[in-house]
Amino acid sequence: MKAIFKIALGIIAAIGGFLDIGDLVFDTQAGALFRYDLLWAVVLGTIGIAVYAEMTGRVAAVSGRPVFDVIRMRLGFGMGLVALVASTIVNLLTVAAELGGIAIVLELLFDAPYSMFVFAAAVALVAIVALLPFGGIERFFGYGGLALFVVVATAFHQEPNWGDVAAGFVPSLSSSSLYLYFVVGVFAAALMPYEVHFYSSGAIEEGWTEENLKENRLNAIVGYGIGGILSVALVVVSGYLFHPLGVEPNDLGTVALPMQGAFGETGLLLALGGMLFCVGGAAIDSSFAASYNLAQFLGWEWGRYQGPRKAPRFTASWLVFLLLGIAIAESGINPVEITEYSVVFSVVALPLTYLPVLLIAGDRSFMSGHANGPFATVLGWLYFAIIIVLAVAAIPLLLATNAGGG
Amino acid sequence: MKGSGEIYVVHRLLDEQICDSEGKRVGRVDDIELRGDPPRITALLVGEGLYPRRLPRHLARLARRIGGPELWGGNALRIPWEEVDELAATVKLRKKAEDLGLGMGDDPKRWIVRRLPWN
Repeated sequence: MKAIFKIALGIIAAIGGFLDIGDLVFDTQAGALFRYDLLWAVVLGTIGIAVYAEMTGRVAAVSGRPVFDVIRMRLGFGMGLVALVASTIVNLLTVAAELGGIAIVLELLFDAPYSMFVFAAAVALVAIVALLPFGGIERFFGYGGLALFVVVATAFHQEPNWGDVAAGFVPSLSSSSLYLYFVVGVFAAALMPYEVHFYSSGAIEEGWTEENLKENRLNAIVGYGIGGILSVALVVVSGYLFHPLGVEPNDLGTVALPMQGAFGETGLLLALGGMLFCVGGAAIDSSFAASYNLAQFLGWEWGRYQGPRKAPRFTASWLVFLLLGIAIAESGINPVEITEYSVVFSVVALPLTYLPVLLIAGDRSFMSGHANGPFATVLGWLYFAIIIVLAVAAIPLLLATNAGGG
Repeated sequence: MKGSGEIYVVHRLLDEQICDSEGKRVGRVDDIELRGDPPRITALLVGEGLYPRRLPRHLARLARRIGGPELWGGNALRIPWEEVDELAATVKLRKKAEDLGLGMGDDPKRWIVRRLPWN
C-alpha cells in the first residue's frame, strides 16, 4: 500500500513537472495562430516523450547506465563528443530560457527589475538544491506545477465548440511554413532532451533496479500522458481567446490571460504560480542535465546523492552552467526568443541522443531480458523516423518563418 | 579477473565506466593497451591526455596542441590488466582509487578542489 502511494506521488510530480517555458510559449502561440489545428502535434510529442522516457528509464534501471554513458558506449568518443557539445549548448540555452521565464513571472507578480530576478532565481534554486534531497526537489516543483490545472478548468469554463477541438486531434498538414514550423515547435517542446537526460540520471539517483520497471512505465505513460493534458489545455484556452482576436501572445503575461478571464484574480495567480513552479523545476532539470551529461561522458563521479565533497567536479560544473545560464538570460535577448532557439535546436540535436538509447534498449546483452519487445521496437523506430524528419526540417523552417514571426 | 568467456573489446570494454573496489567512479576506458602476437590486453589507459588519440587526425592535432602531450602519471594513467576484478555494468577494479593513482580529479586533496567553497 505504501509502495502504491509512493508511486502515485511520483506520477503526480511528473504531471506537475511536465510543462516548461518551451511548452508555455509554443502551445500558446500555436493556439493563437491555428486555434485547435495543432492538437494532434501536441499528442504526437507527448507520446514521443513517454516512449523515450520509458526507454531511458528502463535502460537506467536494468543496466545502471544513464543516457550519456549509453552515448559514449554506443557512439564512441568522437561522435559522443559531438553529441555532448550539441546537448550542452541546447541545455544551456534551455537553462537561460527557464531562468528568464522565472524572472518574467516574478516581474509580473512583484515589482522589481527582471535582471535582479534572474540572479535571485538562480540563488533560490541553489538553496533549494542544497537543502532538499533529490526526491524532495522533484516533488517540490512537481506539486507546485499542479496549479496549472487551472488551465484545464479554464478550458471547460470557456465551453469551446468541442467538435472543433476534437477535429484538431486529427493530423493535418498544410503547405504553410508557419504551420509546419509550429508542428516542429510544439512537438519539440514536448520532447526536450534535457527531460530525458534528467529522468535517466534521476532513476540512478533514486537507486532504481529492475523492481522499479513498473513504476518507470507508470511514470512515463500515466505521468507524462496526463501532463500532456495540460499542454492540450494550453492550446485550447489560447485558441479560444486569442485566435478570434488575431492576437499573437509574445510574452508570458499573455499566457495567463485566459485564466484571468475565466476565474479572475484567483485564476491569474494560480496560472502564474503554476508557471513559476514548472519553469523553476525545468531550470533545475536542465542545469542538472548539462552536468550529468558532462560528468557521465568523462567518467567523473556524479550525482546529487554523492554530495559536493564526493563529486566536486560535477557540482562545480553545475554551478558553472547556472552562471552561464544567468549570463545568457541577462544578455538582453528576450527570453521568449531564447526559448524558441532552445526548442528548435534541441530537436536538431535529438537524433544524436535518441538513437544510442534506442539501440541499447533493444540490445539483449545490455538489457538482460528487458530489451525492447516488438511493440516498443516498432514505436521506438517509428519515432526515430519522425524525429529525423523534424530535425532536418527544423532550421529551414526557423529561417523561413523568421522564428515564427512570419 | 572473475568470469570467463569472450567480450567484444570495442563494443563492451572501450569507453566503459571504471569503478574502484569501493564503487567510486574513476574515469572511463579511454584506450586499451594490446601487446604481443596474437595481441593480448595488457592494460587499460585512462586520462584526458589520451583524448587526442580518439579524434580524427586533424582534430587530433588541434586537441594535442590545446591539451598538451601525454603525461604518464598525470593526464594519462595505465591500469595493468591484472588490476581488473570484474567486467559487469562497469569495469570493477581490485584496489581502491588512491592505490592506483586514479580519481585524482575528484580527490579532495587536489589544490583546485580544495579551494572550492564547501571544502
